[in-house]
Amino acid sequence: MMEQQILTFLFDILSYIAIYLIINVSLNLEYGLTGIPNFGKVLAVAGGAFVVGAVPGRILADQLNLLKGFKAVQDHPILSECLSTLAQIKPKILESIDYIEDNAVVGDCIRRVMVNDPVLSMAVLLGTLGLAALVGAGLGFAASYPAIRLREDYLAMTLLAMGEFLRQVGYLDRTLVGGTLGVFAPDPYGWLGAYRFYASALVILLVASLFFLYVRTVTFSPAGRVLKAVRDEELAAEVLGIDVIRVKQKVLVVSSMMAAVAGALWAFYSQSVIANTYDRFTWTFWPWVMVIIGGAGNHRGVLLGTVVFVVLRRTIDTYRYVLEPIIPFSLVWLDRLLFGIALILVLILRPQGILPDRPTPALGFEKARKIIEKAAEK
Amino acid sequence: MWVIEPIFRDAIIFASMLSLLTLGLTLTYLTTKVPNFSHGSFASIGMMAMLTFTEVMKIPAYFVLFPSFLLGGGAALLLYMMILRPLISRDANIVAQMVATIAFELIMISVLNIYADYLTQTFKVQTRGFLIRRNDVRFFGEPGVFIAAPILAVSAVFLLYLLLNRTRFGVGLRAAIENPSLAGTLGINVKRAYSFSWFLAGGLGGVAGSLLALWFQGSPNYGSELLISIFAASIVGGLQNIYGAVAGGYLLGFIEILGTRQLGFTFGPWITVYRPLIPIVAMAVTLLLAPQGLMGVRWRSLARTVIRGGVK
Repeated sequence: MMEQQILTFLFDILSYIAIYLIINVSLNLEYGLTGIPNFGKVLAVAGGAFVVGAVPGRILADQLNLLKGFKAVQDHPILSECLSTLAQIKPKILESIDYIEDNAVVGDCIRRVMVNDPVLSMAVLLGTLGLAALVGAGLGFAASYPAIRLREDYLAMTLLAMGEFLRQVGYLDRTLVGGTLGVFAPDPYGWLGAYRFYASALVILLVASLFFLYVRTVTFSPAGRVLKAVRDEELAAEVLGIDVIRVKQKVLVVSSMMAAVAGALWAFYSQSVIANTYDRFTWTFWPWVMVIIGGAGNHRGVLLGTVVFVVLRRTIDTYRYVLEPIIPFSLVWLDRLLFGIALILVLILRPQGILPDRPTPALGFEKARKIIEKAAEK
Repeated sequence: MWVIEPIFRDAIIFASMLSLLTLGLTLTYLTTKVPNFSHGSFASIGMMAMLTFTEVMKIPAYFVLFPSFLLGGGAALLLYMMILRPLISRDANIVAQMVATIAFELIMISVLNIYADYLTQTFKVQTRGFLIRRNDVRFFGEPGVFIAAPILAVSAVFLLYLLLNRTRFGVGLRAAIENPSLAGTLGINVKRAYSFSWFLAGGLGGVAGSLLALWFQGSPNYGSELLISIFAASIVGGLQNIYGAVAGGYLLGFIEILGTRQLGFTFGPWITVYRPLIPIVAMAVTLLLAPQGLMGVRWRSLARTVIRGGVK
C-alpha cells in the first residue's frame, strides 16, 4: 500500500514536471533564445486544451449517432446499456442528446466505447494532438502579428491580453467547452485499466523529452546561433542578412505548437476541460518563474528550474494537511508568496538564473582542423 | 426630479475609478518606462482596507480614503524602492523589470488572500464577493460614491495639472520624466521625483479600489482581474500622456458598461457575457489604427477629412 502511494506521488510529480517542461522549453525558445517576451503563454496552452474538450468528443458522439438520441443507438450494445437507465428518468434523451447539456452522459458513453477499443483510443490521441498542434500553430501565428510590430513593453501587454482572450471566450461561451462547468475529455488511456495513470504520465514525459531534445538540437545548430543573434542585437542580425521578422514568426509558431500539445496532453491527463483553470497564473506566470529562476537560454537551467519548482510545489501541496492546522490561512497562497520572493531575489542577485546561458560553441577547433585536413587531402 | 437609471451609476463609478487607475499606471510608466503588471493589486489593497475599516472597525466610509491612499501608495513605493530601483541600478533589461512586477503581483495576491482568510476566520466577515453598499452615505437621495467618484477623479486630474504646471516640484518632475540625466545635472532629485510619482500612482489606485468596494462586489483579486482593462485604457490613452490616460479610462469604462448593454439590446442578452472581451478588442483596434492613442490622433484634420468625404 505504501509503495503504491509513493509510486503515485512520484508519477504525479513526474507528469507535472513533464507538462511544465514542454511549456518551459517553448518559452525558453521564445524568450531565452529569441528574446520575445511572451506573456501570453496561456493562449496556446488553452487552445490545445480546448481542442480536446470541443472536437474529439463531438466527432465521436456524431459518429456513434449519439446526438440523435437513445432511439438511434438502441441496437448498439454498449451505448444502449449506458443510456437505458437515464432514458427512463429523462425521456428527452430518447429523441436527441445535446453535447453540452448532457455532457456527463455523453462522456460516460464515449468512455465506455473507448475502453474496449485500443485502436480507436490511439487514433483519438494522435489525431487530437495533431489538431491541437495545428491550432497552436495558428494561435502562434496570430501572436506573431503584434510580436513583429511592437516594442517589448507594448508587446507584453498585448500578449497578456490575448492570452486572457481565449480563456474568457471559453469561460463565457457555453457552446465551446461548457463555460463554467467544463466538459469531459475523452480518455485515450482508459483501455489500459489500472495503468492509465502511469501511461498518461509516461506519454507526457515522452513528448517532453522529444521537444527538449529537439530544441536543444536546434540551439546547437546554425539556426540556434541565428536565434541568439536576433535576441542579442536585432539590427546587427539584420545586417548579416537574417530575416528577423520571419525568424520571430517561425519561433512563435513552433513554440505555440509545443504549448498547445502540452495543453492537449494535460486535458487528456486530467480527463476534463474547464476553461477557468487555464488562467494566466498557472500557465504564463509559473513558466516564467521557472525559466527565469533556472536560467533563461540554458536548457539544463530550464530543466533544473522546472524540477525544483514542481517538486517544492507538489510537496507543499501533498503535505498540506500537516501544515494547515499550524498556520491560520489556506496554503494555496503560500507558494505564490514563496516563489514571488524567490523570483525577485533571483532577478536582483543573479539575473541570469541559477545556470546562466553560455555562448553556443560552433565546431571545436580540433574538429574544424580535421575537416580542413580532410578537404586538403582530397 | 428625474430618475437616474441604475446602469448609469455603474458606468460613472466604474469609469471614474478606471480612469484613476489608468492615470496611475501611465504616471509610473512615464517615469520608469516599465508597464506595472501589479497595478491592479493597489486597487485590491484599497478594497480590503475599505472592508476592514468599515466592517470591522466601524469607521465611516469616507474617512477610509486617506488610509487607503497611504496603503496603496506604500505598496507602490515598496515596489519601486525595493525591487525596481535595485534592478534599474543593475542595468536589468525591461523584460526583467516586467517579470519583477509580476513577482510583486504574485506576492500581493498571496498577502491579500492570506489577509482575507484571516479576516474571515477572526472577525467572521465575508471577504470574497462581499457587497458593502450599506456602509455608504446617502447624498441628496443618491449613493455617496456616485457623487464622490467622478468628483474625485476630476479633482485628481485638476490637482495633478496644477502640480505639474504651477509648482517648482511639478516642473522638476516633468523634467525628470523628459530627460532624467539632464534634470539630475540641474540639481533635481530624480529618484525622489520618481518615488513621489510611484507613491501617488499607488495611492490613487488604493483610493479607486476603496471607492469601487462601496459599489461593486469586492474580492482580494478584484484588481488583478481589472488589469487587462487598465492596460487597455492606458493604451487607448496612448501611454505617454496622463490626460490621455484619463480620457481612455472614461471612454473604456463607459464602453465596457453602456456598450455592453447596448449590444445586449441590439443582439440579444447572450452577448452581454462577452463584456471582458471589450478591453481586449479596444486595445487591438487602438494599436492597429492609432498606436499613439487618443492624444496622438490629429482630430482636427481627421474631422476635416470626414467632412470632405473620405481620404483625398
